Amino acid sequence: MTMHPRERPAYDRRRFLRNSLLVSLGGVAAPSLLGACGSPTVSSSSTALPMARPGSPVELPLKGEPIADGLQPESGTLKVFNYSDYVAPGLMKAFGKQYGVDVQVTTFTTMDEAVAKLRTGQSDFDVFFPTPDILAKVAVGGLLQPVNHSYLPNLGNAWTQLQNPFYDRGARYTVPYNVYSTGIGYRADEVQSLPPNGYDILWDPKYAGQVHILDDGREAIGMSLLRNGVTDVNTEDQDKIRAAGDQLDKLVPLVHVKVDINGYTEVAENRATVHQCWSGDMISAQYYLPKGVSTDVLGYWRPDTNAAIGNDTIAVAAAAQHPVLAHHFLNFMLDNDNALRNFGWVGYQPALSRFTPDFLLAKQYVPANLKSAVVTMADYDAGVQLLQLSSTGRVLWDDTWATFKSG
Amino acid sequence: MGRASGDRRAERLWPALALPGTGWLVLLFVVPFYAIAAVAFGVIDPLFGSPIPVWNPLQWQFGSFTEVVQRALTGDLQPVFVRTFGYVAAALAICILVGYPVAYYIARLAGRRRGLLLLLILAPWWINYLTRMLAWINLLEPDGYVNRFLQAVHLVARPVDWLSGNPYTVVIALAYGYLPFFIVPLYATLDRIDGQLLEASRDLGIGTRGTFWHVTLPLSRQGLLTASAITVLPMFGDYYTNTLVSGSPTTTMVGNQIEFYLLASQQKAVGASLVLLLSLLLMALMAYYLVATQRASRELA
Repeated sequence: MTMHPRERPAYDRRRFLRNSLLVSLGGVAAPSLLGACGSPTVSSSSTALPMARPGSPVELPLKGEPIADGLQPESGTLKVFNYSDYVAPGLMKAFGKQYGVDVQVTTFTTMDEAVAKLRTGQSDFDVFFPTPDILAKVAVGGLLQPVNHSYLPNLGNAWTQLQNPFYDRGARYTVPYNVYSTGIGYRADEVQSLPPNGYDILWDPKYAGQVHILDDGREAIGMSLLRNGVTDVNTEDQDKIRAAGDQLDKLVPLVHVKVDINGYTEVAENRATVHQCWSGDMISAQYYLPKGVSTDVLGYWRPDTNAAIGNDTIAVAAAAQHPVLAHHFLNFMLDNDNALRNFGWVGYQPALSRFTPDFLLAKQYVPANLKSAVVTMADYDAGVQLLQLSSTGRVLWDDTWATFKSG
Repeated sequence: MGRASGDRRAERLWPALALPGTGWLVLLFVVPFYAIAAVAFGVIDPLFGSPIPVWNPLQWQFGSFTEVVQRALTGDLQPVFVRTFGYVAAALAICILVGYPVAYYIARLAGRRRGLLLLLILAPWWINYLTRMLAWINLLEPDGYVNRFLQAVHLVARPVDWLSGNPYTVVIALAYGYLPFFIVPLYATLDRIDGQLLEASRDLGIGTRGTFWHVTLPLSRQGLLTASAITVLPMFGDYYTNTLVSGSPTTTMVGNQIEFYLLASQQKAVGASLVLLLSLLLMALMAYYLVATQRASRELA
């Protein structure tokens, strides 16, 4: 699966310094192996998973019944399972106050880790934030419960195409959360003009030593595919993937490429002149600029059509002890005012119709020069998405990336 | 109570004292190691793509492991292994060149200040690893202090690109990261060397330099080997230092590929196989270490 913008390693400098010295090293590799140890036997449904694509939507099979209409929300503690720093703490408090409950957020680093933890059966999370590329396996695997739409009137605030998304026809399990695109963040004070094929700037020797790409095989190879004019970014065609990988290999001698996912600090602090990054990175980069540096130095490019676009979702876990409260939580997150408050803290844009580029500019959350970092409903439809691959396809992508990384 | 029964009790007591250590090793080394093997030789869940460890050795599948060995010998992993060994060897050489004189000075010449000096050597360890490495990044940036200094004294005309896949930076950072682990055990050995032996050597007219080469150095060989083993083993598995100060494919080490396969891919068996392969190589090194230290202690006897 693709890496998500929130799959940040612990070396985010500012946040690290802010949160002081509590980072423990060496624990990084532990969860996957621990997850492996705790995982049950081979899952019974070894049938091929439905592969959702915008052109071939998927109606996920119902596992269990949704809760009945008109139930009272439970009391106690709502357990939320999410990426770290991906929901505003103040908003969680507000929810708790409104419903007279406590909200406890448990965090994970990667979707792999999250799924492994959900599968151990010992967790009783109420709310989970899956990405569309893993949705089919967690739904088919019985880790989510279908939602009852009578509790979700605010779903009407969401983008129309995400009220009934291709990855979850009928929104049986999910409501949309945030959207983002993948493009190129750059220093507008150093880059005078962009080449006709914007991706080419990463291969421009003029910026040698200052070029970074995302440390994420799907995103990097996907970008190279798009640059080569291949718009099926979920292709499993060996030749196309290899050609994209060969182009990436050239970045090493040409521009001494660096690989990381810290565009929001690397560009802000001018260690990178051009950086493949997520749109939310450039919106967040405003807050990482050194004192006295104007937001004018930031630029963001993505193609008008066939830009890589992604979103994530919120769902109710199968093991939820507070399913009614969890439904209220989903609805709460889809409220326009709550979503704005959340955006102000998280920097990633909710998939709600009100959040147009003009609205966010007027609210001064986004400077005019970063308008293209805001994703619109039309962008979403015109974009491409990195989605689930078959296991053989995944191996092909992984090995291409490993070869690039081995230098 | 007879003497014989007391002896028997003592006979039972001493092995019993080793129990906690043995239990610790079994729990935290043997079991995890077996778990890694079970993943490396195990299967993949068809739905979730997650590894399913196979605990029965009779059912082990060696496909991933042979693939990794093949790639390490002739494929894309070959440069990674070669690089890793090169970097670790270079970092170890720096540790010896810098660490030996320091340990020697503290043990033999520092006199009453040795406690203070040891404390100062360990002082950076009061600061978190991440902070120390991030400090390097600030120092080595294109407009950082190091480049400004080099330009001010006209050693270089343009800023040196330290942080974009510069192997020297990785080697220096590795050496810096593990140097105290090298100095402290070496100091302990040097400190134990009987001063009378050195005096005798000098009295017999071999001179200060000769005493060092023919007495101090051979006597400290065991400490040197121990210090090397302690620093080299974690360096081989280190991926984070490299990620921080380079982040470029040109300096990828084995640890980085292990990180990728275990965390970011679904081929956990390949990642676990890499862990096993690296462990086997390190075990060979450790076997050499054991033989060499035994020889060293035999020679001392």
